[in-house]
Amino acid sequence: MISFFLARRYLLASRRDAQVGVVALAAFLGLLLGVAALVVSLALLSGFQTNIRKRLLAETPHLLVTPVGRGEFRDADRFAGKLAAVPGVTSVSPVAKGRVWVSLGGQAMPVMVVGREKEKGLVLDASQARPIGLVAGETVTLVSSRSRLSPLGPVPIVATMRISGIAPSATGRKAAEASMPLEDARRLFALGPDGSTGYELRLKDPEHPARAAAAVAAALGPSVAVATWEEQNRALVLALRLERFVLFAAVFLIVIVAGLNLAATSAVLAATRSGDAAVLSVLGASPRAVGRVFLAAGAGVGTAGTLGGLALGVAAAVFLERAGLVPLPAQLYGMAHAPFRVAPLDVLAVGVLSILWSLLAASIPARTAARLSPVEALRGA
Amino acid sequence: MAPETAPGAPLLAAEGLGKGFGSGEARVEVFRNVSLTVRAGDLLAITGPSGCGKSTLLHLFAGLDTPDEGRVFVDGTDWGSLSPEARAAVRGTTIGFVFQFHHLLPELTVEENVALPLFLAGRSEAEGRKEAREVLERVGLSVRAAALPRTLSGGERQRVAIARAVVRRPRLLLCDEPTGSLDASHAAAVFDLLTSVAKERAGAAIVVTHDPEWARRCASIKSLGGEGLSGVS
Repeated sequence: MISFFLARRYLLASRRDAQVGVVALAAFLGLLLGVAALVVSLALLSGFQTNIRKRLLAETPHLLVTPVGRGEFRDADRFAGKLAAVPGVTSVSPVAKGRVWVSLGGQAMPVMVVGREKEKGLVLDASQARPIGLVAGETVTLVSSRSRLSPLGPVPIVATMRISGIAPSATGRKAAEASMPLEDARRLFALGPDGSTGYELRLKDPEHPARAAAAVAAALGPSVAVATWEEQNRALVLALRLERFVLFAAVFLIVIVAGLNLAATSAVLAATRSGDAAVLSVLGASPRAVGRVFLAAGAGVGTAGTLGGLALGVAAAVFLERAGLVPLPAQLYGMAHAPFRVAPLDVLAVGVLSILWSLLAASIPARTAARLSPVEALRGA
Repeated sequence: MAPETAPGAPLLAAEGLGKGFGSGEARVEVFRNVSLTVRAGDLLAITGPSGCGKSTLLHLFAGLDTPDEGRVFVDGTDWGSLSPEARAAVRGTTIGFVFQFHHLLPELTVEENVALPLFLAGRSEAEGRKEAREVLERVGLSVRAAALPRTLSGGERQRVAIARAVVRRPRLLLCDEPTGSLDASHAAAVFDLLTSVAKERAGAAIVVTHDPEWARRCASIKSLGGEGLSGVS
């Protein structure tokens, strides 16, 4: 195609043409570095977010099934059997959840507690233990929000338990939860030996929980509510998405500025080659064809800068991940060095947007060149 | 001669052309009431003093500029009725143009410069280069096909420009002072080449020159003045 043929010659000749050469090199390097910075930033964010999602998936049930309203499940085995039969569900655990007062030495505070089968003792979240200075090994009194009937009338259900551990605060949970053995929780919340306030399900494919959630809802009917792990951590999931968008927009500003350099390159090229544009018109090139020559030149620089930037960015991210060159305090982040994870879709999005922006930037001077009067240009040539 | 044109059919018809520049008191009328008919086989010289508007008139004939008055028809089509895109298409197929200064593209080789109109017409690179080499052979520059214009002499550059103008076998060849930038010895050779190539590959030719010597080598001569064209015997 003649546009690319001429554009290629102009760009190759720009090594000899200082005016065009300098601005073309600036535009190329700007795009290269901007795109590379964007790829590395997104890889870093993707690395952190993947880590956070992994921890969320480990700490949060993939699906949480609860009765609608304030009811409870009374026939635990029957519901568990129904849930286990839903395709994609790998495990079903009944839970007993409620609020208790934890007191010790005249001090008390309300705490959300969840009973699970696997728990061996009372484990408080660090944020629950801190206000009244509780430490592992102390024995506390738990006063339930539920009551039992006594000869003197209804009295609160009370239990005494030893704190077996203090867990670090959970990653994304909106409210801290203590955990205890299921049987103890059933007694505290007066649920009976086969009662539960909900079920925690784990899935074969937790990355796509919506399909399994719909199947569970269909199997148990309208009396139950099903929340995916993303819905349980909605605020955090939305924050992660917003963080991704904001970072992309902020770093893409570099690409936008580099694109403006590209517009300057095309404008300088069009100005210095106006005589050529006029000759092309005389030889039968339509205004659009003349514009396409300068558009192709801009697009050539834009594409080369973008592809170079993608290659540089991916190589840098892979190197930083393998070499572990960015150390982190492990006790704070749970990892020894900053994680870089190159997501192919991110790379594709950066590449496509950068090339589109380059085309848009180059199209403005190209349109000006297309509208140039050949007679005026020949007089000046 | 271009085979599409029947002998005697008007290739170019200009009716009452007028053109001026500027506006208000600063306006300068260059010429008015220019009428002309060019038929296939014509070799016409337009002469006149510098600044009388000879180049402007050629630009109007080529559809590169628009007249203030009058109309220009090429092969029966009024330039004024065409969109810029359509004008470019008609210009590409119908008009060949030789400038006073060669206006070769400096980044392209001689062969590529000559093939450029063919590339613009959508011919493949191989096809374009082949036809360009044939024309370069005709103008005696096939050995310089791979050279860049800056390595050529003035006369050679103008011969390349002539080859470029006739490579698509235009119906009408317009030449604007084609020897104006050359010394006398080169100018004669280039002018002879131009007229012979025009006869072989173009339907008709109009040569603008201020030099009566070159004008006399054409079949007919017109002189451009403020009041239009007049015949010169």
